Amino acid sequence: MRYDFGYFEEDHLKKVTEAHLWQRILGYVRPFWWEVAGALFLSLIITGAGLGLPALLREAVDNYIVNQGLTIPARLAGVTRLAGLFLALLGLEFVANFLQVVLLEWTGQRVMHRMRQQLFSHMLGLNLSFYNRNPVGKLVTRLTNDIQNMHEMFTSVIVTLFNDFIRLTGILAILFWMNWRLALCMCLLVPAILANTLWFSTLARNAFRRIRTGLARINSFLQEALSGVSLIQLFNREPYSRERFKALNRAYLDDTLYQIKVFGIFMPVVEILAMGATALIIWYGGNEIMQGAMTIGVLVAFLAYMRLFFQPLRELSQKYSIVQSAMASAERIFQLLDTHESLPVAREPQLPAKDGGMVVFQNVTFGYAPGQPVLHDLSFTVQPGETLAIVGATGSGKSTIINLLERLYDPDSGGITVGNADLRQLDPAWLRRHVGLVMQDVFIVPDTLRANILLDRLDIDDAKLTTIVDRAQLTALVRQLPEGWHTRLGEGGMELSAGQKQLLAFARVLARDPAILVLDEATSNVDTETEILIERAIDTALANRTSIVIAHRLSTIRRAHRILVMTEGCIVEQGTHDSLMAAAGLYYHLQSLQVRECGPS
Amino acid sequence: MAAIGINRETIRKAWSAVGVVRPVFRQHRWRLLAGFLALAGVNSLQLIIPRIIRQTVDNLQQGIATQAGLLHFALLVLLISLGIGVCRFGWRYLILGFSRILEVDLRNALFAHLLTLDRPYFQKKPPGELMALASNDLSAVQMACGMGLIAFSDALFMSMATLGFMAYIHPGLTLLTVLPMPLLAGLTSYLSARIHHRFKKVQEQFSRLTEFSRDTLSSIRLVKVYTQEQDRTERFNTLGQSYVRDNLRLALVQGTLFPVSGMVANVSMLLVLYFGGRLTIRGAITIGDFAAFISYLFMLTWPIMALGWVANLFQLGVTSLHRIKTVLDAAPKLIEPAAPLPLPAVSQGFALRHLTFGYAPSLPPALKDLSLTIGPGVLGVVGRTGSGKSTLCQLLARLYPVPEASLFLEEQDINRLPLAGVRSQIAYLPQEVLVFSDTVAANIAMGKPDASPAEIETAARAAAIHGEILAMPQGYQTRIGEKGATLSGGQRQRLALARTLLLNRPILILDDGLSAVDTQTEHAIIANLRPYLAQKICIIVSHRLQALADADRLVVLAEGRVVEDGTHVELLANGGLYATIHAHQGMQEGCQ
Repeated sequence: MRYDFGYFEEDHLKKVTEAHLWQRILGYVRPFWWEVAGALFLSLIITGAGLGLPALLREAVDNYIVNQGLTIPARLAGVTRLAGLFLALLGLEFVANFLQVVLLEWTGQRVMHRMRQQLFSHMLGLNLSFYNRNPVGKLVTRLTNDIQNMHEMFTSVIVTLFNDFIRLTGILAILFWMNWRLALCMCLLVPAILANTLWFSTLARNAFRRIRTGLARINSFLQEALSGVSLIQLFNREPYSRERFKALNRAYLDDTLYQIKVFGIFMPVVEILAMGATALIIWYGGNEIMQGAMTIGVLVAFLAYMRLFFQPLRELSQKYSIVQSAMASAERIFQLLDTHESLPVAREPQLPAKDGGMVVFQNVTFGYAPGQPVLHDLSFTVQPGETLAIVGATGSGKSTIINLLERLYDPDSGGITVGNADLRQLDPAWLRRHVGLVMQDVFIVPDTLRANILLDRLDIDDAKLTTIVDRAQLTALVRQLPEGWHTRLGEGGMELSAGQKQLLAFARVLARDPAILVLDEATSNVDTETEILIERAIDTALANRTSIVIAHRLSTIRRAHRILVMTEGCIVEQGTHDSLMAAAGLYYHLQSLQVRECGPS
Repeated sequence: MAAIGINRETIRKAWSAVGVVRPVFRQHRWRLLAGFLALAGVNSLQLIIPRIIRQTVDNLQQGIATQAGLLHFALLVLLISLGIGVCRFGWRYLILGFSRILEVDLRNALFAHLLTLDRPYFQKKPPGELMALASNDLSAVQMACGMGLIAFSDALFMSMATLGFMAYIHPGLTLLTVLPMPLLAGLTSYLSARIHHRFKKVQEQFSRLTEFSRDTLSSIRLVKVYTQEQDRTERFNTLGQSYVRDNLRLALVQGTLFPVSGMVANVSMLLVLYFGGRLTIRGAITIGDFAAFISYLFMLTWPIMALGWVANLFQLGVTSLHRIKTVLDAAPKLIEPAAPLPLPAVSQGFALRHLTFGYAPSLPPALKDLSLTIGPGVLGVVGRTGSGKSTLCQLLARLYPVPEASLFLEEQDINRLPLAGVRSQIAYLPQEVLVFSDTVAANIAMGKPDASPAEIETAARAAAIHGEILAMPQGYQTRIGEKGATLSGGQRQRLALARTLLLNRPILILDDGLSAVDTQTEHAIIANLRPYLAQKICIIVSHRLQALADADRLVVLAEGRVVEDGTHVELLANGGLYATIHAHQGMQEGCQ
């Protein structure tokens, strides 16, 4: 069974010559053009210094060390002077090198931080249908790995490519200037090196991708197995798990060995080519010297420049791959930034009165996918102060009603009004504060318990908070915490139990004090004590408030003024608990199971 | 190797850690030997080239060079480079390949050992920590045994040989030029340790950033409903900024390493230029010697830097190896008896006699002097949170060690029975279920991989999840996990129940395994299972009393003891804790 345990590998290649992508990338760099110009200037210094050092060496050999025409003291003085120059150039190169690394990192990080920030807030603005189509893992990759790829290109490629280019041109210029015939001979080797590099970069890329995927498979398998060791033991599955793990490891080993072979061939080939150049210099250059067309100093310098010349070419393949994957990442990022799937917001949103508590669904039809409606022509009204319970089997459309009321989606046809204003005419932020929601799943902000209750209601003082905590039945919890409501929750802090999370959700909604409350009761059960606390919290939260409750607890259902019974997106019955029981329809059927089995009759 | 403190204890520890990989080294000794020979071949051949260059230059200088001689030298260089190429491929494949084999062997050994460890061990070592061990520590060991070993022997050989050649040309000049070299090694070692440290920080911050995005995006619905967009963006910004800062701190060190090493190497060059130049002018060495000296110096820079880097690599490798060794040395508390008795056929069930059990000596015992017989039929277990229900189930499922002569299966002390044998009699469903990222069918057939589709379907029907599975995109072949379908808590529990039922073992333990399933469904499932359960020894824990009302027998636990024992009707009549809980739940469910 080959499959990736949830790991994503998106690795299609991108041509490095797509002008529009480059244009957009450079757009992000533009605000930092001073820094970039500085880095390029430093490149010139570094290259100049790097090339100047062997030139000084040649100067020393030809002009002083082997120059029999000068007196010995003059030759010694000359060597000393050049050594001094050598030292100065050395210092300059060091400083420029250091400054460039730091400057590039600083600029690159700031560019990427901006881009990441823009991408993150753009994503938060997209609507839920977008999230239904795109798995979270993929989106996270955009924010992390894709940005990282671009950063790598920015710091380690763009400027070093420029460095290399200047250096190679510089070396070639010097070589041609020293002896153009020998230089021309050496240039004949360049196409061979480039071809080898391109061929290698494709192979290396594939090899790396296979290794990455293999390792990801191993790690996901391990992760699952480690969290389920006792399950494996109880099911006597150790031999199977061991074998499967071995097979994954075997495949990984094969991939790593393949990668070693690819590198093992490429590196020597480049080296042989470089040595070929050395051989060429010895043979051809030697002949030139014998004919008096070249000095020995030039030969020594040629040999020294050779190293400098081949170094960048050896690294070219790696840089080429970085640029390729960065371009692919850039395209994915821009594609995401170009996705404008948010619900239309009215230009001048209406602001209904705070107490606008009436909710009306008028002939609402809606489906998550076209042609598959989940709600069919649904109409109902909730009067101010009324508690409406909705019951029905899983998949009957209860949660969809909440999604529409919070305007996470717009209905396909029909309309929803809150306080006589159509949802599409309202400011979504206002709406979501106005319609408070207590959901089954509760998110925890990595912050104190207090911050988790208040969220954005920072105007609430401690006295009021005490009341809220008390009404949400959290007082006992707060009292037993070492730092009270200043205790940190979430990662590295305290973990709340399922029941405590439910209570926290109530505290949040009480802090926001919305005109309308939507309660999606959790199906999972908690122990009896917590159950009592939750019921009390529900009591307080529902009191004197327009409420819509997706109910599972009979106690909650009975508290409702009216009950809607739903099946497959339609309302099939409505009334009070007693009237529905008397009608002996679907509701009666749903409840009868529980009632029949209760108590010794 | 200055980075490793010379301390007897450290060395002893390092040596014992190395013991973990020693057999692998021994097993592949011929491969390694061939690899090192190839490495030596590369180095020897490399050293010949400067000599050829020196010879050429000297011949040219003295005017004794001939065209044929030049061609001969050029072809020799090419031939040698071919030899270097072949040897280079050889050592890469042999030694780097060895390091990968070692990595894979160690990982397999680690995994196989982890599978033998028990629950108490995994409570001390969370999966995250073990994951880090299997990825980071293993790769540190691999690096040390691959690149580290190569770089070390390479550097040692090259520096010795190069120094030898240089000393042969002129000992005094050699001494002068290598003066900056120890400084280079020391600097590299110091800086690469700093880089490693700061790089780890960058990695940590990166995973924090990733975790935060994942958390936010996967709860996007809540973020929107609670209008948390602004707040989240600000928090993301803060995290991103400290990521930028950590990267800069790394760049500050990284930006020093290469320029500094380059500079130290060039200082040597300066010394050659200044002193060597003088020597040549005075005629103490030939111009060819001077050129060769410079070539050797180029060759010396990298090995010396490598020594510094390798010292750091070895240190990290040994530390990681030590961590791996502690895991491999860990022994489970729950062990197979030395001479296990034959496993009896299960018919009478369990007997607990004065069983006291605590998770740790420092904690109060979770079960206190508990005596209970558990025979065929359904035993319902009721009690408040923390009363010991789950502990009881886990002990019966043989997840924790129990004291001698306190837990009996078929009148045999369970500590004398084969561990895997006892487990093969028990089907256990915990409250937190784990679903593997695999197909639905494979998840259900986990304990019985050869189960037929009909068997799988029967189990799914019994767990009331057959209909929902059919509604999934590919039915039983639907994959679960991030790439496939996501299941609700209730669906996961029912899937796990189907998996447990398919085992069809004589003992069934359901430890509140249907808590996330709604009341009606839980009740329907248990009611449907009744005929099947009648022939088995079955223990069911639930918070919902009505699901257990039909049980043959009920026990109520409180503070690790049985406080009530009887049928539903008897316990209600008792008016104890059971009746109290029932009264509350009954009221809540709307019938009194």
